[in-house]
Amino acid sequence: MGTSYKYRRDASRLFIAVRDNEKRFKIYLPKESSPVINGNELDIDFVEQEDFHYAFEWKGKHFQCELVSRDQNKAIVKVNGVEYKYSLESIFSYVRRGMIAGVVDKEIDNSIKAPMPGKIVDLFLGEGDLVNVGEPILTLEAMKMQNEISAECNGVIRKIRVVKGQSVMKDELLVEIQSIDV
Amino acid sequence: MIKNKILIANRGEIAIRIIRSAHKAGLIAVVFQSDRESDALYLQFADEVIMAEDANDDKPIFLNPDKIVALALEHQVDLLHPGYGFLSENPDFAALCIEKGINFVGPSPALIRDMGLKTVAKSMAIEAGLPLVPGSAGPVATAQDAMDFAKKVGFPVILKASAGGGGRGMRIVEKPETLERLFKSAYDEALAAFGNGDIFVEKYLQNPKHLEFQILGDKYGNVIHLGERECSLQRKHQKLIEEAPSASVTEEKRKEMGELAVRFAKKIGYYSAGTIEYIMDEDGSYYFMEMNTRIQVEHPVTEMITGVDLVDWQLKIAQGDQLTLTQEDISINGWAIECRVNTEDPQNRFSPQTGFIDTIQFPKDPAVRIESGVVSGSAVTPYFDSMIAKIIVHGSDREQAIKNTLEALEDFSLIGLKTTVPFCKAVLQHPDFINADYTTRWIDQVYNPEMLENEDDEMIGALAATIMYASEYLQLQGDIPAYANDALNVWVLNKRINY
Repeated sequence: MGTSYKYRRDASRLFIAVRDNEKRFKIYLPKESSPVINGNELDIDFVEQEDFHYAFEWKGKHFQCELVSRDQNKAIVKVNGVEYKYSLESIFSYVRRGMIAGVVDKEIDNSIKAPMPGKIVDLFLGEGDLVNVGEPILTLEAMKMQNEISAECNGVIRKIRVVKGQSVMKDELLVEIQSIDV
Repeated sequence: MIKNKILIANRGEIAIRIIRSAHKAGLIAVVFQSDRESDALYLQFADEVIMAEDANDDKPIFLNPDKIVALALEHQVDLLHPGYGFLSENPDFAALCIEKGINFVGPSPALIRDMGLKTVAKSMAIEAGLPLVPGSAGPVATAQDAMDFAKKVGFPVILKASAGGGGRGMRIVEKPETLERLFKSAYDEALAAFGNGDIFVEKYLQNPKHLEFQILGDKYGNVIHLGERECSLQRKHQKLIEEAPSASVTEEKRKEMGELAVRFAKKIGYYSAGTIEYIMDEDGSYYFMEMNTRIQVEHPVTEMITGVDLVDWQLKIAQGDQLTLTQEDISINGWAIECRVNTEDPQNRFSPQTGFIDTIQFPKDPAVRIESGVVSGSAVTPYFDSMIAKIIVHGSDREQAIKNTLEALEDFSLIGLKTTVPFCKAVLQHPDFINADYTTRWIDQVYNPEMLENEDDEMIGALAATIMYASEYLQLQGDIPAYANDALNVWVLNKRINY
């Protein structure tokens, strides 16, 4: 798998911080590289860490962060002396919450259907994995040709409807993806 | 030679500031240790500390004239500097010091008293030819008299109960139609509150600027002024940012207002440092408001643009030295801005914050003047003022001064309590401040806490919150060793090594 993708498989590293003004920050914390915030890998330097205090450097500026309060998934962080309120969600709870609120109906339409009849010869990802736009999800063999089917958005694989070796009809639902691009 | 002793009957940054001048003057600096703040920073700067033992007193030592003087005598103090606030403008205290043979650093008690009585100060100002806000010569008998006056000076006007205070019996009249009704309600309210329904009428300045002229006078009748400061940025009469000079004062006006201030000080026989306050209307007309008979919080901006040390001069004048500076010696060099660092929450109606300062970091640029009464670890108590420090910055002109001040504020950080620094940053970037188009009503009318926020801080805050949340979340997921969420720290560690 190419390493140029922003997201790795591990969706448990993707979080959504929603500010009290409804602004959303989708934050992916890779193991060994800079964080990806709203789809942009940002060159943020982590310069200091103590309990409840973090300091970052970015764009030549210093950011002093202090956790002011924390109640379940709600947090108030003071950044350079000004407080901001967030509620925090893992991508799973975010999707679940969204499903309950009914707001993700159209987002879920990023599901992948078979473009032609054929046979699933390979599956690269599992349910719950994070997928990048353009990243191959499965191989569909049709008329002796192997076609890689790729994700059209960044998102989480919610459900895989097929198994390896299965034959599918045209337009049959293969994979449901929850987009995180919105 | 025996060194003279000076007692500084104050605390915080101003105590340290005065000690600095006292040492330059070869004096032994003595301060009080209040039980309400027993390990305050200023104590470390003094040569001698007097235990105030004020834990069981109903007020701190700094507000207790008899105890101050008794302890001063016991410790054979020669001079007493009151600083600002507390008893600095209490004529009885100044008189008590002098009566007991302690040289009070300030003007004569009689003048402190006169200037403290607004009506006396104003009548003295009229005698000296200073302009006052147009007002009825005495109480107006009827609403019609008030109307005649209002028509003469123009609306809006303000109705004030002559016995008034605390806003009672006070009405702002925007237009003629409402005058009769408001006059009646002001009258009724004044009568009910004070047993006296006398009402004055004054022209009401809707968007005034607060300007003040610094003066220095000696005991031999020499008086000079050191230009003006603009202190329009204030909330409930508490200044938050001051600058010198003022963009609203032309060279011509500076000369005029300065000369009036000097004339007034000479006429009343003022000595020591003092401040003549004016308010300026949108059309540039200005009026005498009052005189402050002490060193002011914002004195450093004047020092920065004139190169004159005002506290040094206060001490010299008190000891009988002649003012060797003449008006011609005073020139204004560039621009200076002072930001007050108050432990107040600008996101929540400037409510005071008390507790501990975990870490405080000031700008390191030696050109930035820092006056601080605290260090990392200091406590901020509810007993005293919330101003913990001042950051004073110079620039070759106003634009440069604003830029330099912003840079200095970027280098300030305080962990533990909220301060007015984010507020100062927001103001310095606001077009109204940049265009010098701000008045004493700016905070009430324009300021909104959302001005403190910015997108970068908001995003980095989201990142910080997420890291804190994620470290717990990932531990709960069980795929991470429990010690210090190692997986997250890989990025952290890499970054640290590279940094």
